[in-house]
Amino acid sequence: MSEAPQAATTDGTTPVVASAPAVPTRRLGRPKVRLALVGLVIVAAVGFLLIKGLGSSLDYFKTVDQALATKQSIGTSTFRLEGMVKAGTVTRTSTGASFEVAQGGRSIPVENHGSPPQLFKGGMPVIVVGHFRSSSSSVFESSEIMVKHTSSYIEKNPKRVKASDGSVN
Amino acid sequence: MRTALRKSIGPLSAVLVAVTAWLGLFVTPADKDQGDYVRLVYIHPAMAWVALYVAFGMAAVCSLLYLWKRTRSLRFDRLAAAAVEVGVVFTILTLITGSIWGRPTWGVWWTWDARLTSTAVLAVLFLGYLALRRVPAEAHVRARRSAVFALLAAVNVPIIHFSVIWWQTLHQGATVLNPNLSPTIHGIMAWTLLLSFIAFTLLFAWMVTVRYEIETLREDDHDADLAVAIAARKAEGAQP
Repeated sequence: MSEAPQAATTDGTTPVVASAPAVPTRRLGRPKVRLALVGLVIVAAVGFLLIKGLGSSLDYFKTVDQALATKQSIGTSTFRLEGMVKAGTVTRTSTGASFEVAQGGRSIPVENHGSPPQLFKGGMPVIVVGHFRSSSSSVFESSEIMVKHTSSYIEKNPKRVKASDGSVN
Repeated sequence: MRTALRKSIGPLSAVLVAVTAWLGLFVTPADKDQGDYVRLVYIHPAMAWVALYVAFGMAAVCSLLYLWKRTRSLRFDRLAAAAVEVGVVFTILTLITGSIWGRPTWGVWWTWDARLTSTAVLAVLFLGYLALRRVPAEAHVRARRSAVFALLAAVNVPIIHFSVIWWQTLHQGATVLNPNLSPTIHGIMAWTLLLSFIAFTLLFAWMVTVRYEIETLREDDHDADLAVAIAARKAEGAQP
């Protein structure tokens, strides 16, 4: 910083001064190119996310009712099915688990391949990814279970108290 | 007084984050469904809150203040930039902590539902804003560009907030700011959640303050360099 005025008074800086006006003119186009590039990258990234994400996520899952109502047109194409795991219907199979997903009074039997996530149990809302076995079969073959936990947080053992010796009953 | 306040905000936020961690890890109970995974509720929503509402809110307000002629000042441009820069950190932490929470509870690291997708869009917009600022331009040109971009990008904020209501999502709805405004969390869990929001908001404020000060010093330094250079050229012009 302090060198600048000193250096400027010497003859050695003359070429620098002479070339100084040339620098901005030579660079005039560059910021615009960079601006366009930045804009292009932003648009491309957001566009990719919107197409990849929102395309499928606005119609993220079908409920049991929707799936049964449009079963003919769905055929054996893959979709996400949402419902409550019917308590008492969960059985472990050699390839994973079988259970029923219910909504209101209606339910769809599900055969899952692969082990369910840790929170999976009867009474939990889930989303299963898969397809109907055939257009005539009511069995839904799933390859993935996602547990849809609620936004409520409830203490596990509300009555539990610590004894005076620190032990928990 | 102002210096004391500015200097105390850092240690205070550190203490509050530590208290949040202690309450969250040791004092609060486990959840009846989620067990110990519920403890992520004392980190993840607070980070999302900071990224989405505090950081982007501040960037939008500062951009507006810059664009409005009567309050136009490069200080607001610098504040908006600082808010976005820290906001990027919180947005990415939101995505990471959410992913860590999603794996054991949902069963997946990531899914393209509306909440997750719109938050990923937010991260890209934040990064885009910072990339835009790197494009060489005169200070006020850059400030105007950035401000307009920030305001356009702010459209995403209500989209993210209402995504869990407007569309079907795997992500759960809001616990506190839900449509009925009746929190579905109580007791020590609710108080720790509230504390986490205050702690991370203060942490954000501290980081933005420091970032703003650094940027101001850099601008001053740049101005000083410029003054020296101008003086040098003038000195040359005076020479025969």
